[in-house]
Amino acid sequence: MIEFSHVSASYDGELAVLHDVSFRIEDGSFVAFVGTNGAGKSTTMRLINGLLKPTEGQVLIDGTPTTELKTSELAQRVGFLFQNPDRQICNNTVREEMMFGFKALGQESPEAEVRADEIMAAFGLNPDDDPFLLNRGTRQLLALASIIVLQPPVIVLDEPTTGLDFRECTKVMEIIRRLHERGTTVVMVCHDMEVVADYAESIIVMSRGKVLAQGPTYDLLRDRALTTEASLVAPQMVALSLALVKRHPQLAGTAVGLANTLTEMERALGLEIAEGGEPR
Amino acid sequence: MSAVRGFLEYVPGTSLLHRMNPVAKIFCALLISVACFCTSNLIFLACVLIFDFALAAHCKMTRQAMGLAKAVTIFSLILAVIQLLTNSTGIELVPLPWGYIGTGGVIGAVTIILRLVAAAVPLFLVMYVTKMTDLANSMVKVLHVPYKYAFTFTSTVHFIPVFMNDMAGIMEAQTARGVQFDQGSIVKKIRLMVPLCIPLLVSSVRKTNSAAIAAEVRGFNLRTRESGFKQYPFAARDFVSLVICVGILVVAILLGVFF
Amino acid sequence: MIEISNFSFTYRESSEPVVRDINLTIPDGAFVGITGAAGSGKSTLTYAMNGIIPHCYPGDFYGSVKVCGLDTVECDLTEISRHVGSVCQDIDSQMVSSIVEDEMLYGLENFGVSHEEIETRVSEALDAIGIADLRDRTIDSLSGGQKQKVALAAIVALRPDVLVLDEPTAELDPASSVAVYELLRRYAREHGTTVVIVEQKIALLSDYADLLVVIESGRIRFADCPENVLEHADELLSIGVNCPRSATLCHDMKAAGLYAGPICRNVEDAVGMAEQALGLASASPESSRTAADAFAMTGAQATADIAERTAEKGGAR
Repeated sequence: MIEFSHVSASYDGELAVLHDVSFRIEDGSFVAFVGTNGAGKSTTMRLINGLLKPTEGQVLIDGTPTTELKTSELAQRVGFLFQNPDRQICNNTVREEMMFGFKALGQESPEAEVRADEIMAAFGLNPDDDPFLLNRGTRQLLALASIIVLQPPVIVLDEPTTGLDFRECTKVMEIIRRLHERGTTVVMVCHDMEVVADYAESIIVMSRGKVLAQGPTYDLLRDRALTTEASLVAPQMVALSLALVKRHPQLAGTAVGLANTLTEMERALGLEIAEGGEPR
Repeated sequence: MSAVRGFLEYVPGTSLLHRMNPVAKIFCALLISVACFCTSNLIFLACVLIFDFALAAHCKMTRQAMGLAKAVTIFSLILAVIQLLTNSTGIELVPLPWGYIGTGGVIGAVTIILRLVAAAVPLFLVMYVTKMTDLANSMVKVLHVPYKYAFTFTSTVHFIPVFMNDMAGIMEAQTARGVQFDQGSIVKKIRLMVPLCIPLLVSSVRKTNSAAIAAEVRGFNLRTRESGFKQYPFAARDFVSLVICVGILVVAILLGVFF
Repeated sequence: MIEISNFSFTYRESSEPVVRDINLTIPDGAFVGITGAAGSGKSTLTYAMNGIIPHCYPGDFYGSVKVCGLDTVECDLTEISRHVGSVCQDIDSQMVSSIVEDEMLYGLENFGVSHEEIETRVSEALDAIGIADLRDRTIDSLSGGQKQKVALAAIVALRPDVLVLDEPTAELDPASSVAVYELLRRYAREHGTTVVIVEQKIALLSDYADLLVVIESGRIRFADCPENVLEHADELLSIGVNCPRSATLCHDMKAAGLYAGPICRNVEDAVGMAEQALGLASASPESSRTAADAFAMTGAQATADIAERTAEKGGAR
């Protein structure tokens, strides 16, 4: 469990970036942080894995304050995927990169090798490739794989889809979805509201260094006052549903007025869709 | 990152030093530095040091100047110790197998520290009160330095924080996966750091390449001495300052020759 | 006007052409979006338009590229740069100064804009991009999004005939991205500027572009107005380009025979389509846009703000 209790934080003792932030992320949840640039999302992520310590309040990981944990201990509890894979990748082959985390933690073992092999196979990564010659999307996958191989119970993703094309984005997000299904707690910062709406169970809305709201994704994205205050752009189907209700109040509470996803909207508009139809 | 941020970086202000002509500033600083090397007169060096800090205080840069003085002191300690151990002159204080530590050595050591600090502070101060582009542009305008060299200089300086940022980001990413930079011996730390140089190198090569292109598509090749929008005229204060600094140098030379 | 005919390019270090058989004509004042999967050759195509190819990257150049009447092979890069302003992907390396104001001055000084005019150009461009308050900041202290805006302002100040932008909103949140597109469109219309943008955010392109170019493995697969391109939702998906949800919705409705109009480019269009499908009284398109605006683009507030300021400036000039 990750708990922020009245956390304030700043860089170099300058103006506080976070003011009195409190929230709780339960084990096994999939939470996305949303808000504008500079709302304090990345700072919050850095606080979670102890790269930054709070100036006031406490960040608790499974009940222990991050100030009492070494970064290497935290690294085993919280896996962190940075926006730019180039900053993470520093080995000559894909295999070495996969094993680097174990090496850093002094946990090299045959078992670790086996796990690395499995994940490389699952991700379609060639162990002997030179990471610097791979394209951006594959490097992002490799960075993710080298975090996942350590099997952290919590994984933090800072804008995992920036710079990726649609296919790469879907690939990365599907892997994360499967991780979550197997019990990993996923915390992510993401600007793409369609991705947030598709994958996150709940969101935490931030604005100007404060938490405005925490709750189920669609409930909050349908809250006009909230999205306006936080300058959020609602996913297209939510926006469509809300616009229709606004123009035709009689639609409130109907299937159209409640539709959040493409599938729901299509059904509401009279399209026949097979059960379990995935939105595209 | 916090330790790096702001190091030798322009701090906005409106003090006399801020408003002086960049070329005059750098010349004044050089004159003072040269003066420090022209004499070993301790009283003179102490006076220069006091003058340095008076200037720093005037442009509200005391904290930075103190930090710099400390850093230079630590660096010059090595030289001072060598001086102490090898200059066996004056009254014997501590006997050594090859000679002794004498008052001459002590004075020599103090002189080295004083001299280096007094000489370094004004040069660093210039960096804090002058925008790098102003320095380069005025060099081009006033001293007719070819723009190509000025540009190379400014882009090098300009890229330092970018690379520092990169390095900090890389270290952070590695820390996040369990690499312990904060503990262990120096040898171990260096072994951990070496692989990180690869991503830094890759990104810096890429960056310098695209920086060159970016400058070219914005008319780099057309730039001449007249291009600069900002003018850097010499004002009375610049002449006065230069005269004062030349005065300091003359005093130092006279002291060096006659004492 | 940009005329690209039978253009192919192979980088010296690779054996395969990165882009091939490109034929594309972009009329003056068009707002063009280029998209495609990673590595499909989008950036290479923009390098051909701003002269970086062949002048900075060596390789085999076939066909011809003409920008504003200049043949990019015959002219030197500086000459092309007088007409084409570019913002590349890596913003950090694009910066030549440490202070925003100096960054703004750099190109203006080099291209010999008269010193009397420089001040107007700088403040106008800063206002147009909405970053007048950043003028004295050090570039090191800016966020990625702010840097992108500075780079854009520095180019806009040069008043180029063509703006070539490689993912100008990559670091921006959705509301700011919409704001940037809004001001780009406004600026381009006022000044008759041609805008060419490489972009992954397909929803923005389908909303703003006049011409949408989709590239697949170095070849142009589609080059048409967004409504027509989005008709091919399945093909787009197969080459790694997704459609905005409203377009997919519309596409599926059409396939089921529930709707027969043009493909929806944005949520406003989708509102109209849904009303038609539900048999509800459709108000005028004007009010449809206003209603949807309130929900779809909360960034509209910021946008309107910037737009207003731009308008004031434009009026004052």
